Amino acid sequence: MMLDLSMFYTEYMLENYGNKVSWEDVRECGEQLDRFIAQCVESGIIFEIIRMPHLKWDTKRTDLNELILKIGNNALRHCSKLGCKALIVQPLFSGIGKQNEWIENCNYFWEWGRVAQEYNICILLENQCGNINGHLVRGVCADVNVVTDWIDMLNSRGENEVFGFCLDTGAANLCGQDMGEMAVALGDRLKAVLIRECDGVHEARRMPFTGMDIQGKNIDWASLIRGLRKIDFNAHLIFDVQDTLMGFSPLLREKMYTVAKSVADFFSWQVTLEQNIKKSVSRVLFGAGKMCWNYMRCYGGQYPPMFISDNNEKLWGTQCHGVEVKPPYSLKALPKDCVVIICNTFYQEIAEQLKEMGITNITAFNDEYLPYLTE
Amino acid sequence: MLGIGVQSNNIILDSCPIEGFKMLKQAGFHCCDFSLNSYLPNSRLYDLELNDFFAQSVEELEKFFAPHKKAAKDTGICINQMHMPYPNYVPNAPKEFNDCLLENVAVKSLKICAFFECPYIVVHAFKLARHLGSEEAEWKKTEEFLDALAPMAKEMGITICVENIYTNMGNRILEGPCCDARKAIDRIDRMNEKYGAEVLGFCFDTGHANLVGIDFEDFIVTLGNRLKVLHIHDNDGIGDLHQIPFTFTRNRENMSSTDWGGFIRGLRRIKFNKVLSFETAPVLMAFPKNMRQDVLMFLAKIGEFWLDELCSSGLKS
Repeated sequence: MMLDLSMFYTEYMLENYGNKVSWEDVRECGEQLDRFIAQCVESGIIFEIIRMPHLKWDTKRTDLNELILKIGNNALRHCSKLGCKALIVQPLFSGIGKQNEWIENCNYFWEWGRVAQEYNICILLENQCGNINGHLVRGVCADVNVVTDWIDMLNSRGENEVFGFCLDTGAANLCGQDMGEMAVALGDRLKAVLIRECDGVHEARRMPFTGMDIQGKNIDWASLIRGLRKIDFNAHLIFDVQDTLMGFSPLLREKMYTVAKSVADFFSWQVTLEQNIKKSVSRVLFGAGKMCWNYMRCYGGQYPPMFISDNNEKLWGTQCHGVEVKPPYSLKALPKDCVVIICNTFYQEIAEQLKEMGITNITAFNDEYLPYLTE
Repeated sequence: MLGIGVQSNNIILDSCPIEGFKMLKQAGFHCCDFSLNSYLPNSRLYDLELNDFFAQSVEELEKFFAPHKKAAKDTGICINQMHMPYPNYVPNAPKEFNDCLLENVAVKSLKICAFFECPYIVVHAFKLARHLGSEEAEWKKTEEFLDALAPMAKEMGITICVENIYTNMGNRILEGPCCDARKAIDRIDRMNEKYGAEVLGFCFDTGHANLVGIDFEDFIVTLGNRLKVLHIHDNDGIGDLHQIPFTFTRNRENMSSTDWGGFIRGLRRIKFNKVLSFETAPVLMAFPKNMRQDVLMFLAKIGEFWLDELCSSGLKS
């Protein structure tokens, strides 16, 4: 889970600090946060990531760096208690000219890094939108070519690799960016992906797949998943679905948590799909249909199966991409380190069939997001 | 030289090209972006329909365009750039279809470009990232296409300019080929070194950049002298509308929501000394026919305003 400090230090509070909001108000929020964290610790709730409060992309405030650092110092104190490993920090942007972006942020993040090293946590920079009179465009840290340089330079200044990146899919989508290419460029600097859906024009924090338009398209999740697979991403996928949840009646909201969890599980499965194929020493495919054909087309060369198994006896003895199709009883003779990859959407039913046969080393393949469509 | 241009589509008519060129001259334009793409509309190509325009021989095509060339010369309008029909490759189309796009359409486009004595031709790189799985693989295919044209371009003294374009996911606009300036400069330099000539350059499209939130100034400065050609037009950041610059606002202050300041700063910083060319054909259809001349004059006024901005920074035409 990620603890978003904007729950306590709201945009309104930051925007009005020093005017309608006093330091006493901020301190009171800090006390509320302390109480909240104490309750979490008592209940055994772990937050692996904390996200610092965010300034609005059209803010005119340029004087809040010190306040944010103070809030951050308070947050860092709690990290070890919460089991937190990373802190997402919004880079500086307000009132900073293009030519000073790096130097200002370098000093700012170095200050963060110095403290973060003490607490042994990672500081994650995050892609931002800029605001041109209401039009959201690529802001600070949106250009991954630049941000990879920044992270490498920041890390080169310390003993440990303290800095990494959190990719905000909402911000990337607002700027029409190819998230898969961004992930590939970031490589192992990418430590977290903040997954949220929006319509590409307005800010929103919706559940993935709920932004479908009339032409049947939403965010290009396929590209993101492909990119994360290419870099063997195994860090944090954080789902921010608060606008979707708030859209539902409180009476229905609980049911949405289940859906949100299923979506998160789906992403996690899709992202690690290739890693699961790679880590097996040997493999057999179960199901000789279209999904099997897609496996063979995209992965068959690099990760060839020993054979393919299928319940349809008419297929026994035939070949798919040069690999023989055998009856399920052939699976009984498999070595223990061989994984059976189910290539059929009846995952549960087939998994049960396999388990009844005493086979437990099972994984599921899916061809919804293939690495390429044509060669 | 610095100058102001506009695309020919909806202005220069085949029935009487001189009329359109006179309109351009009268409005204050010095140059024209010849819309060769209007002779083979992209919507038809995606439906795998090839009309027979490019089936004509080069001699026939030159004869067809001779009045246009003469009209441009007579009115003193320079055809400084043209747009090749696009797409140059349709995924999943039969091989013969794509071969025809290269061997017939692209090759003849270059020859027409040479006929017009036009130094720059704009092409769209292939949109294949989704099919091939990566932008690198997509560029590789585009490079094969460019490699097929480069020797001819070198011989003719033409620079082929790739343009930043977008792709769609339903109604959503996503960055497409050539939206990464750093990659673009590496590729342009590599290709030009390979051929020992400026066979490849860049066309910066303000409207397309605006749709995907690209930082105009950064992008232009990164391109530097590889930037040869401009497609200037405006939109609301949502749809590719090809409208008049400064048209769109998104908040109550009613300030332009497109970064025209960054655009001019970028051009200044690289000492851009070529043509400020508007790609605003839809504007001419949106206004009543009787207002077209006024619309063109207004566009030229914007161009003049920017020319002054650039010249005041030390660049003289």
